[in-house]
Amino acid sequence: MTAPTHASARSEGPGWVPQPGVSEPSVGMNVELDTGDMVLNLGPQHPATHGTLRLVIRLDGERVLTADPVIGYMHRGYEKLTEFRTYPQVTTLINRIDWLSSFANEVPFMDAAERLMGIEAPPRAQWIRTTLTELSRIATFLLFLGEMGLQVGALTPAFYGFRDREHVLNLIEAATGGRFHPNFNRIGGLKDDLPWGWIAETRATMKIVLDACDQFEDLVLGNEIFGARTRGIGIIPSDVGTAYGVSGSNLRASGVDWDLRRDARPYLAYPDLDFKVWTHPDGDSYSRYWVRLQETREAARMVLQCLEGMPAGPIMAKVPRIIKVPEGEVWVETENPLGQMAYYVVSKGATGPFRVKIRSASFSNVSILPWLLQGVFVPDVITILASLYFILGDIDR
Amino acid sequence: MPPKIKPPGLLKGLGVTLKTMLKPAVTVQYPHEKEEPAPRARGVIALKEENCTVCMLCGRSCPDWCIYIEGHKEQRPPRREGGRPRSVSVLDRFDIDYALCMYCGICVEVCPFDALFWSPEYEYSEFSIANLLHDKARLGEWMESVPEPEPLEAGAESKKK
Repeated sequence: MTAPTHASARSEGPGWVPQPGVSEPSVGMNVELDTGDMVLNLGPQHPATHGTLRLVIRLDGERVLTADPVIGYMHRGYEKLTEFRTYPQVTTLINRIDWLSSFANEVPFMDAAERLMGIEAPPRAQWIRTTLTELSRIATFLLFLGEMGLQVGALTPAFYGFRDREHVLNLIEAATGGRFHPNFNRIGGLKDDLPWGWIAETRATMKIVLDACDQFEDLVLGNEIFGARTRGIGIIPSDVGTAYGVSGSNLRASGVDWDLRRDARPYLAYPDLDFKVWTHPDGDSYSRYWVRLQETREAARMVLQCLEGMPAGPIMAKVPRIIKVPEGEVWVETENPLGQMAYYVVSKGATGPFRVKIRSASFSNVSILPWLLQGVFVPDVITILASLYFILGDIDR
Repeated sequence: MPPKIKPPGLLKGLGVTLKTMLKPAVTVQYPHEKEEPAPRARGVIALKEENCTVCMLCGRSCPDWCIYIEGHKEQRPPRREGGRPRSVSVLDRFDIDYALCMYCGICVEVCPFDALFWSPEYEYSEFSIANLLHDKARLGEWMESVPEPEPLEAGAESKKK
């Protein structure tokens, strides 16, 4: 219960009763306006939060004093659930961590299980995995490229983003059977081979994606209003970003030349592919958009390379019918669309994992928010949230 | 070289809008027109009842245990004269609760006798959540919509059963 102000005390009470030692409250022009802090609750259901992130923002006028992200509204307890599932069943769960790039989530877990079992997926399976991972990267980024425009006030790019992403999702559906939750990886390979005509269709779609990137560059990046809203907003210096554990495109936009596809232990077919890691020195919201736009193009080029060099052969290694993973621990990290994704799998020789630690990219990317949002204006909060690009399922797991 | 004149972003945006306006729509009016899902799409699970041997593998491998199976053994007359009577498993109940199903397809994959299939059919939404529990008769009806296995991409090895 807040103390009643003088004005309300006056309207409710019998009127001002003179008391000894208390001067009559002055009403009128000569009173100094109270500029106390205001607490603004952004979310949990704000469209800019990609799910249910709540930000408790303390404002002084238009400026943010402090911002506290409150997470956990979508906590589904996947780390615990995996302990009661077998390895094939876990794939279904980890699809739903980052639901925009589900296929990329499966890859590190399968890699971990395969390394513990000492088997390796055949080359064709590796190349198909690479293709689908890059396709899910394109799908994620196309949505970002449209949505970022929406968050700063341009409605139209969001429709184009969704429209072009649909082509990529159709490809993923044609190959795996699921648009968002492919569940296509199996320990030792893949569930099925590609359907007839898929490669030709993908080639045609990549042309659409590259055209879409040109359009986004022209329409959104070239727009003066977009530049004014994003340039110099939410600057992450490279050392601060590294200290907070920011990864992926957000860190590359701060000028850190670090990409796990190139720098980590070689996985999938990436050592055989020729690709460039894009960085931008500025570290602001504009450069994050720019880096993701370039990475979408690069991913489309990588998909084309994968289709060109796709080896023939089996898609499944020899795996026992009932999968039991021998005792051991393994840490596998990959470059997911949102950043560094890793699993620490502990196996005790049973059909299911003993413990799985999931290191998801968005959790660390969001941890920089209290630092990043200090002193910015309220409309820029939305710009920064959109440009960091997190998925709530990836934060809360 | 003359400096390239850049049109302002507003004009550029209006140009894109005009271009898009002249293109045909990419959306379809759903209840009247329908998009054909991919043949592999995981829409609904169909049950071929005569292939089921009540081995319970699908029910046990389901990640959220949404398959309910009950069965009993029956004695059948021997195949040959003077042989022992055969005991056969008979399926009493096979329900899939689509309100719980995660559409992972593990049940279809583990089935050793090819009794479960994926169908790309998707129009089975209900007003009551209880109606999403499909019994074996309803699951059998989906068998009509199961597509033939499609050919694979060049370079693929044919599946060995």
